[in-house]
Amino acid sequence: MTHAFAHLHVASAFSLRYGTAFPAALVRRAAEHGMDTLALTDRDGLYGAIKHVIACHERGVRPVVGVDLALDKGSSSDDLFGGGLPSTRPPRGRHSGHGHGRGTAGEPARVVVLARTGGWASLCRLVTAAHQAGERGEPYVTPGMVAEHATGPDGGPRLTVLLGPRSGVGRAVAERRDDQARALLAAWRAVVPDLVVEVSDLYGYRDANTAARMIGLADSMGVPVVLTNAVRYLDAADHQVGNVLDAARKLVPLDGRHLDDPTAHAYLKDGAEMARVAARICGGDTGRAARLLAETRRVADRCVLDPVEIVPLLEPERPRLHLPEVGEDPLPLLRRRCEEGLERRGLERSAEARDRLAAELHVIEKKRLSGYFTSVAGITDMIRAMGVRCAIRGSGAGSLVNYLIGIGEVNPLEHGLLMERFLSEGRKGLPDIDIDVESARRLDCYRAILDRYGEDRVACVSMMETYRARSAIRDVGAAMGLPPHEIDVIAKAFPQVRARQIRAALSDLPELRDSGLNDRSLETVFRLAERLDGLPRHIALHPCGVLIGNSTLRDRTPVERSLLDFPMSQFDKDDVEEAGLLKLDVLGVRMQSALAYALQEVERVEGRRIDLDAVPRDDRDTYDMIRLSRTIGCFQIESPGQRELVAKMEPRTMHDLIVDISLFRPGPVNSDMVTPYLETRHGFREARYPHESLRDALRETNGVVVFHEQVMKVIDIMTGSGLSEADRARRALGTPEGREAVRAWFVPLARENGYAPDVVERAWKVLDAFGGFGFCKAHAAAFALPTYQSAWLKRHHTAAFLAGVLTHDPGMYPSRVILDEARQCGVDVLPLDVNHSGKTWLVERTGPAEDGPGEFGRGYGLRVPFSAVRGVSEAEVDRMVAGRPYTSLADFWERARPSRPVAERIVEVGGFDALHGLRPGEPRWRPGRLTRRDLIAQVGALDRGSPVGAAGQLPMGFTDRVTPGELPEMTEAEAVEAELEILGMDVSRHVMDFYRDLLDALGVTRARDLVRQRNGAEILVAGVKVATQTPAVRSGQRVIFTTLDDSTGPIDLTFFESVQAHTAATVFGSWLLAARGVVRRTGGRAVSLRAVHCWNLADLDHVWRTQGIDAVRAVISEVPAPGAGVGGRAIEYGNGFRVSPYSDNGAPPAVREGRFPGHPAAPQRRLWHASSGSSGPPPGR
Amino acid sequence: MSRLYGDPIEVWVRDGHPAQFVWRDRLYTVREIQDHWVVAREWWKTSDADPGERRFWRLGAAAGKEVGTYELRFDTASGGWLLLRAWD
Repeated sequence: MTHAFAHLHVASAFSLRYGTAFPAALVRRAAEHGMDTLALTDRDGLYGAIKHVIACHERGVRPVVGVDLALDKGSSSDDLFGGGLPSTRPPRGRHSGHGHGRGTAGEPARVVVLARTGGWASLCRLVTAAHQAGERGEPYVTPGMVAEHATGPDGGPRLTVLLGPRSGVGRAVAERRDDQARALLAAWRAVVPDLVVEVSDLYGYRDANTAARMIGLADSMGVPVVLTNAVRYLDAADHQVGNVLDAARKLVPLDGRHLDDPTAHAYLKDGAEMARVAARICGGDTGRAARLLAETRRVADRCVLDPVEIVPLLEPERPRLHLPEVGEDPLPLLRRRCEEGLERRGLERSAEARDRLAAELHVIEKKRLSGYFTSVAGITDMIRAMGVRCAIRGSGAGSLVNYLIGIGEVNPLEHGLLMERFLSEGRKGLPDIDIDVESARRLDCYRAILDRYGEDRVACVSMMETYRARSAIRDVGAAMGLPPHEIDVIAKAFPQVRARQIRAALSDLPELRDSGLNDRSLETVFRLAERLDGLPRHIALHPCGVLIGNSTLRDRTPVERSLLDFPMSQFDKDDVEEAGLLKLDVLGVRMQSALAYALQEVERVEGRRIDLDAVPRDDRDTYDMIRLSRTIGCFQIESPGQRELVAKMEPRTMHDLIVDISLFRPGPVNSDMVTPYLETRHGFREARYPHESLRDALRETNGVVVFHEQVMKVIDIMTGSGLSEADRARRALGTPEGREAVRAWFVPLARENGYAPDVVERAWKVLDAFGGFGFCKAHAAAFALPTYQSAWLKRHHTAAFLAGVLTHDPGMYPSRVILDEARQCGVDVLPLDVNHSGKTWLVERTGPAEDGPGEFGRGYGLRVPFSAVRGVSEAEVDRMVAGRPYTSLADFWERARPSRPVAERIVEVGGFDALHGLRPGEPRWRPGRLTRRDLIAQVGALDRGSPVGAAGQLPMGFTDRVTPGELPEMTEAEAVEAELEILGMDVSRHVMDFYRDLLDALGVTRARDLVRQRNGAEILVAGVKVATQTPAVRSGQRVIFTTLDDSTGPIDLTFFESVQAHTAATVFGSWLLAARGVVRRTGGRAVSLRAVHCWNLADLDHVWRTQGIDAVRAVISEVPAPGAGVGGRAIEYGNGFRVSPYSDNGAPPAVREGRFPGHPAAPQRRLWHASSGSSGPPPGR
Repeated sequence: MSRLYGDPIEVWVRDGHPAQFVWRDRLYTVREIQDHWVVAREWWKTSDADPGERRFWRLGAAAGKEVGTYELRFDTASGGWLLLRAWD
């Protein structure tokens, strides 16, 4: 054979729940087989196309790109094309039992469409059209649609259409309906100029026979034939994974009937194997087999694409970018806007600003990005005009242009921020500007952008959600036919780890080790689940990326609809950049919504309008509050670790906050930058600089390197290479190899510049320790502003601020912790009241305002809203609010029209107490007095009395009066239990109040008394679990940090690996905890406990009630049996920083699951913050 | 008409295909391979990590002059051959 075989039909893992191999792996294998051309033809989209083209480019393989599309099976006009399937769904069980027919019953016919050389745009548009025609997630084409895109405006063919065994033609041949097959092929040939018949033989029953007869048909009509292997695996061994994916995709258990491939032959075979397949199909006719292979080769040749056309960034020097249109020449436009900005910001006489502006514009114009900046400025102007809070984030804050044209509010000159960190001449790739908007208005912003630029020019960026441990176990479990509730329990027992860590986690984690999941019967489930690791399973809207382009955007990227009906590119954020498309990140930030809400409440209640951006940034009271760690609810500084850090650091200025935010990152914490910084800050030691010339660059952080910008300055000063080059070196510090390379470059250059060897060595040590960690100062500066603003609001408008926090949930703590914080601040928590509650948390005046040092929120209350009631719908809430005031329960029932359970719940948590004069919890209830239970009974009566369509037929007078029943009123404990169950928070009393007697009997220490404990004392504590985290720590252990709340304040507990064998299951699995721990004093007021043992408080309480206090003492004095700790090898970073594989470094902050169904006493709603650690062992196994 | 048997047999293989087999004490010589296909085992029903596949042949073979059609099956996991069916 003179030419290598070219696979023209290849599905990668981006064929969702179908393919098993990633494009790069397929390309590598093809190159190993000596193939010079490879196609990628994923199902339903071009999700993997960019990655394929890049991989091909790297390996010197010529890329071919196509798509495997379903044909419309519904429309009768295309019945002929649909392959003669009956227009109604075929009856179940209509499968031949063997071969390709198997598993395809009811599945649509499919065709493969390849882009010919120069046909990329047509392919993109066809895919977009297919998604527009079909339901979301079920795109289809008609032959008419294919024909429409198959030729270019010049009449030349742009697409090659392959009709294979799964096409209508192939099916007709397999079912021996030869006339129909012939008619179909003729019909296709009439509309598509470049039509090809595709045969394959996967060694299934009759495969070879069908292929031979398809060749016969094509030959008789003069249609070319190609050979493919319908590839979906890299190796034959991936077949089982494919079976599981078939079952998961079709939502059926594994069964021979449902499989797409009954054999394991759809892997990327080499040329010799394909030659054998050709020979087998052609039945020994060597001439025909050779012609088949040659024709395959010819089709491949005419479909080879130019990689640089699709992925312009493969040519980094002058990439052909896809630039937005701004209606006029963007270059003078941006210059004009910058000039105006200089004047507006009062910088027109600053030489520094002028020089900086000239330098920035030079780079922007050289990169032809003027239009991009003006477009983004237009968008931020528009967003602000909509009344939406909007702030710049990230490195973009370092650009003066962004400040001048109003994209951001941070002046980079004021904070020493560098443009080069954001955009520089030497930097490959495109800049992206990130802006934060109110999370509640993010989609409004998207819509406005779409309206302004039009759907043709804008698309959102997508992202692939991939299989992780839990999702993989769910899909495999379902395929294996396990009962759904069992799957649920097994999946939830696992922490949020990668799927490939499943079996390692089972043996490493104490809470799983003893769980019984190690059972042999689940071995297959776990083994297969591990094989799904990292496979894409679902496409979703990226949380912030928006593409802004021109009218040819649809030629560059296929677009589908997102769940919320936004046009969404099939490319992820990396692909988009490689494809030369410009994007703007519009991120929804809950804190911005919380701030906006707080300001709105202040205005509503006090009639005062506050311009938050104009508030002085040196308010003493605000910094005093931060210093005392009273920061729960505040942006960025509310976590236990940050509360400890701000107490030690005592920030006084915005700059202190910038440093504080930057220090509290894995890098600085682990390369131990915090201690030296704090010591010099408080004057315990002198600031040290490696060299006098670096003093300016490092002074702001007392000689400690904290910011990316400082690394860049150090490198620039010592090498004289310029900041752009310095940023490139800084990026390289992230990997060990990169560090070696930078060292080899940096050391001689610095020596050449006259620095002594020991100075260079000291400076290098600093850079080396930094290891690519650290934080971008521009980013920290952008963050510090909302941090300060949130703290300022908390200090001066406490109730309004906490109302915002409760309504928009921006932080890590659940509502009940915020409520407790409100109480600590002197804010009253007001129960649900049908006549006062609103849709969201409302502030009420409750008395004269007092501005005391501790209780700065006195005089205001927070009203529980209707929306907090479990199960209430938005429409119900709207009716409830609109109908106020109500005169009685019956009135409420009739006008607000709640569902019966919702009405009952509102009664249970006291929504009618005020209206009907109920006083639950009072010990002197006497028969004959109205109770909540009576009202619940009336809800039942009202429900029975108002059949559908006949609401309000009962006479008013009759139902307005409620007859008191014989049932006693709810006790306080029952009321709080109902609140936790229905609202997810304890409103009337703190839940720990009910354990006071037990805690007193045991001599438990309260949070407020912790500061009086001596270091090293062993004490008992107890409380409600507020948060558990397993962050990355220096030692490489998995350490569990747990915060308890006992109504007098927070208690921070640390569980090291040595005690986790007997405590991990309890810590993760209980809501109320008692613990024994050793006091560690970490600062003036900072105290934490090293936990020794812990128990479920509800269990102790039960023992106490049934067996007495001595039995409890016996339980808590038991010595735990020694057990193995946490296994798993620590992940080691280049700078020697080790973390446990089960720590949650890098886990998205949005991962919050507080639900744990294990303990019957634990409420079923999110009541505590949990990091992505394990949620505990499954119950009852 | 075909009849189902499922008898274990002994088979001699040449170039990856059956060449001769012994069934019910008679030696058959394969004259032509009519069809050959494979079916992966339903692995999820077994406890083996990889239960392998089953290979099928439909072939013309003769013990004497009369050529008949037979279906043979080879199980990669057990290494055993069966004569599944024969056509008169």
